[in-house]
Amino acid sequence: MKMGISKRITPYLLPIFVGIVYLLLYTPIFVLILFSFNKNPISYRWDGFSLCWYKELFASVEILAALKNSLIVAFSSVLLSVVMGLFYVFFGASSFLNRLIVFFYGSLIVPEIVLAVGLLSFFTFFSISLGLTTLIVGHTLLGLGYVVPIIRARFLEMDYRLIEASFDLGATEKQTFFKIVVPLLYPAIISSALLVMIVSLDDFLISFFCSGAATLTLPMYIFSVIRSGATPVVNALSTMLLVISSLLILILTSLKMKTRIF
Amino acid sequence: MKNNSVHYEATKNGAFFMAVPAVLWKLLFLYVPLFFIMLISFSKSFDFAFFKNVTLENYKSLFSLSYFRVIGRSLLLAFLNAFFCLLIAYPIAYFLALKVRRFKNLLLFLLALPFWTNFLVQVYAWFFILDHKGLLNTALLKMGIISQPLHILNTSAAIYIVMLFCYLPFMVMPIYSSLLKIDKFVLEASFDLGANSLQTLSHVTIPLSASGIMTGFFLVLIPSFGEFVIPALLGGGKVMYVGSMITYFFLETKNPFLGAAFTCLSGFVLILFALLIYVIFKKLFK
Repeated sequence: MKMGISKRITPYLLPIFVGIVYLLLYTPIFVLILFSFNKNPISYRWDGFSLCWYKELFASVEILAALKNSLIVAFSSVLLSVVMGLFYVFFGASSFLNRLIVFFYGSLIVPEIVLAVGLLSFFTFFSISLGLTTLIVGHTLLGLGYVVPIIRARFLEMDYRLIEASFDLGATEKQTFFKIVVPLLYPAIISSALLVMIVSLDDFLISFFCSGAATLTLPMYIFSVIRSGATPVVNALSTMLLVISSLLILILTSLKMKTRIF
Repeated sequence: MKNNSVHYEATKNGAFFMAVPAVLWKLLFLYVPLFFIMLISFSKSFDFAFFKNVTLENYKSLFSLSYFRVIGRSLLLAFLNAFFCLLIAYPIAYFLALKVRRFKNLLLFLLALPFWTNFLVQVYAWFFILDHKGLLNTALLKMGIISQPLHILNTSAAIYIVMLFCYLPFMVMPIYSSLLKIDKFVLEASFDLGANSLQTLSHVTIPLSASGIMTGFFLVLIPSFGEFVIPALLGGGKVMYVGSMITYFFLETKNPFLGAAFTCLSGFVLILFALLIYVIFKKLFK
């Protein structure tokens, strides 16, 4: 009899286990979102629905400045890393530079804090003052580590005869690049751009080391506020960030399914 | 391959220098700085004179028990985190790859979502669960399991719990893709030859997913070792880990020489440890 029960339970054990882990993974996030609508400013007690923290969020000059910095850095590093990465993949494909592809995997193996410290020492050594520019440099470095492998994988899958045909028909390299390669790599370009965007908006460590005292990005702002005792405005801000990055990921995943980029 | 040679002819005289910026960027901002860290760790002056001032003094002053304890603590955290992640991730990956049919894409998406959303937000969300008056204590008190609220926040328990959940997707993904590659007929053959499900798991499935296990283990182990944010926010900042120590040297005491030496030393220990793990894996799954 006992045997019978355990046999009947066994097939459900695995789904139950997976369910519990998913629940644990998402409970904190749901509680955070819930409490961003909480009226009570101090404790974790629910006091009723309110949008006051969102109002305060959009009124905060400090947060808007941090948002502006984050967006400047994200867009610049997306642009830089995608353009340089694309140039590398196409123009480097036929030269010795193609062998240097291993270079681009380096930032994925080294712990990020070592990257950050290295960049900081580099900037200090050459007396480059820290700020938005150094942030963009660091984030572009991270971005290239994603852009080059993704675009290159797509480039190698591409029907090579199209490029040959283009050259045979008398197109220059510039024409081939803009009229053949870029349109064909478009899905990979978009998804790697989205990925760099997500990584840049999310990055804390490189920003923490390379931004100097005056420039704050959103993750740095959140970090400093949590450290000095969080206010509910951070809940509202966190919820907004969650929504934005979830949307970006949703776009990324739907692209990925349509085009099999990875 | 033969196409490649044609292409080579086509762009040989062309603009290969267009590919240079990306390479230069990586070289200048990744490999040169790494080299810098190594140079600085053997020096006391932060300019072009450091070749004249080569010294081992930085390393000598690190030769104290407290610094080794920091490295040991991070090593333990990294190892245990990878180990616990593996224990939890394997059943999930197994379920996703071999068991589930409906909602598979949704479940995969839900697993990847926290991994790509803002890391700090994810860490911050755990405050609501682990706080003195948080969800966990409230629930346990209501159920009468405990009579006093537990102090989890600002202890290493909080660090371990949050690390586990933040790094879990790193472990699930590689195991999942290695399990997908297993030929279903091999598993069937194992059952047909009389093995029960436990024997099939330990003799067929796990050895065949060894590469995924190893990749996942290193993907968790290496970043966990240098983790800064989670110990800084949830550990209360009292206990030092490698990440916090490096930050302390570089940003608080402004001593890049000791900081660089500490970075190199802990990096060296990490590499040795990773090699050891690699050898053990090779022995286990020969």
